Amino acid sequence: MLMSLYLPISGSANNILLLFGLGGAVGFLSGLFGVGGGFLMTPLLIMAGIPSTVAAASDSNQIVAASTSGTYAHYRLGNVDFKMGLFLLVGGVVGGTLGVQLIKVLRAMGNADFVIKITYVVMLGVIGSYMFVESLQSMRQKVPEARPAGPSRPSVYTRLIQALPWQIKFEKSGVTLSALLPLILGTFVGVLAAIMGVGGGFIMVPVMVYLLRMPMHVVVGTSLFQILFTCINVTFMQSISNHTVDLVLALILLLGSTVGAQFGARVSRRLKGDHLKILLASIVLIVMVQMLVGLIWPPHLLLGYKGGH
Amino acid sequence: MGAGVKGWPGSTTAWGLALLMVLCLAGSVQAESVTLQVIPPVVEISSFYQGCEVTVTGTLPAGHQAVLEVVGPFRQEHLMRKGRRGMLWMNVGEVTVSGAPSLYLVQASAANLLAGSSPWGFRALIQHLTLAGQVQEKEKAEFQEQFLELKKSERLYAASPQGLKISPAGNGRLKVTGKFWLPAKVKPDTYKVCLTAVLKGQAVDRQCTALPIQMVGFPALIMSLAYQHSAIYGIIAIVIAILTGGIMGYLFKGGGGH
Repeated sequence: MLMSLYLPISGSANNILLLFGLGGAVGFLSGLFGVGGGFLMTPLLIMAGIPSTVAAASDSNQIVAASTSGTYAHYRLGNVDFKMGLFLLVGGVVGGTLGVQLIKVLRAMGNADFVIKITYVVMLGVIGSYMFVESLQSMRQKVPEARPAGPSRPSVYTRLIQALPWQIKFEKSGVTLSALLPLILGTFVGVLAAIMGVGGGFIMVPVMVYLLRMPMHVVVGTSLFQILFTCINVTFMQSISNHTVDLVLALILLLGSTVGAQFGARVSRRLKGDHLKILLASIVLIVMVQMLVGLIWPPHLLLGYKGGH
Repeated sequence: MGAGVKGWPGSTTAWGLALLMVLCLAGSVQAESVTLQVIPPVVEISSFYQGCEVTVTGTLPAGHQAVLEVVGPFRQEHLMRKGRRGMLWMNVGEVTVSGAPSLYLVQASAANLLAGSSPWGFRALIQHLTLAGQVQEKEKAEFQEQFLELKKSERLYAASPQGLKISPAGNGRLKVTGKFWLPAKVKPDTYKVCLTAVLKGQAVDRQCTALPIQMVGFPALIMSLAYQHSAIYGIIAIVIAILTGGIMGYLFKGGGGH
């Protein structure tokens, strides 16, 4: 059967078409929503028989390709805010470094695994539910309600971010914010991304939409730009520390994902922002439920290899 | 413990005595010797390796039964045990298993050879497993079974009680034929294939041969790069990913644009 290929780092033989298909499907979502897809790809690879550590590390490698392709596609569409992306990236690198140290402490305490899974369930649950409800309300509100006369009172959050120092205008996003805000939020997302072992796009996108108030189509391109550099760092660190990057696996996935990302970017232009958000919210909630069931349902075996998720 | 599961750590003396007994019981070793041939003699893991069927042929003295064992190197396995905390299942402690081979495939010419207190098969293997770490004495039997189930789920442990075929070979001897499947998960190393002649439930002779499994070609190159030149490997992985992403993006631009 020539459709099977031996993956040396993974130490298993897998169907090429299956892996290519997984890459294509996740790449499509990556281009569509501007998420790296790590939160979907890693569980799917584990289900396909790839060891979890190899799945996570190789996934980072393929996200580099999908993000390059996606960033390039969105750059040509004028959807990348490089200024905002750089601030988020600096924060993300600082947060990622802090997150790695936090994981070391948790492992020494003996229950990092539980913290990682609970973080996944809570983050996915909160973000998915909020996006879903908000998008649904927005879609149902076909006719805008008549607003009361006179200027509306800004929210506490708006007043807070306006009061922060070092206000900068981000022309591409059309917002004026304190430079501290993307730095702090980038750090927060970086910490979570390190704990959860993903690029962080599915956290970054809602952060950009709801906290940085960037337009959805700029959010997608800018998120991919930030994810690209985060995953370059993760790929290198995994290669030299854990030897868990399977280049052959990553190559198959990235071929599928780069093709999928292009289709995703095309489809994203045809969908409204609310449609994109409700689709992403649904996927996030499905993954959250799957993880929660995995935590509650009694496992088939009471023993597993050390190093697995 | 008889002739089964040869090579268990800590049992060298016992094994030596057992072997001596076997030789004494056998009487004329020359007359009852076992022959063994393994095809292929070396298993190569190349790019399209997806496991491999290995054929074992041999001869036995007439009137004997046979047991075939394929045994991998012995290593300590570091595992995590799962437990329930509140509503949630999670890893709750490390369990170290010693005395377990990385691969154990066993076949016999009759089902009763692997049953009961037989020196071959999983019951014999389980007696040599030592568990340490966060496992209580009363839980050890349960977790030994769990360990077996884990390995069986990966096809690294398998038993086929009637997998060996015996037929007359002339000259008062029997021909033994068996086939076993080496799973794709098997690691490159030197494995041992042993054929034991059994008379009235006792081992009377045993012949073993080495079965090397080695990585060749592209997989070997990747492993060498990943472990011996990891920084270069990481950079190559990143550069290939960026180039592929860029090229695909460029190709799609030319193929219809946005």
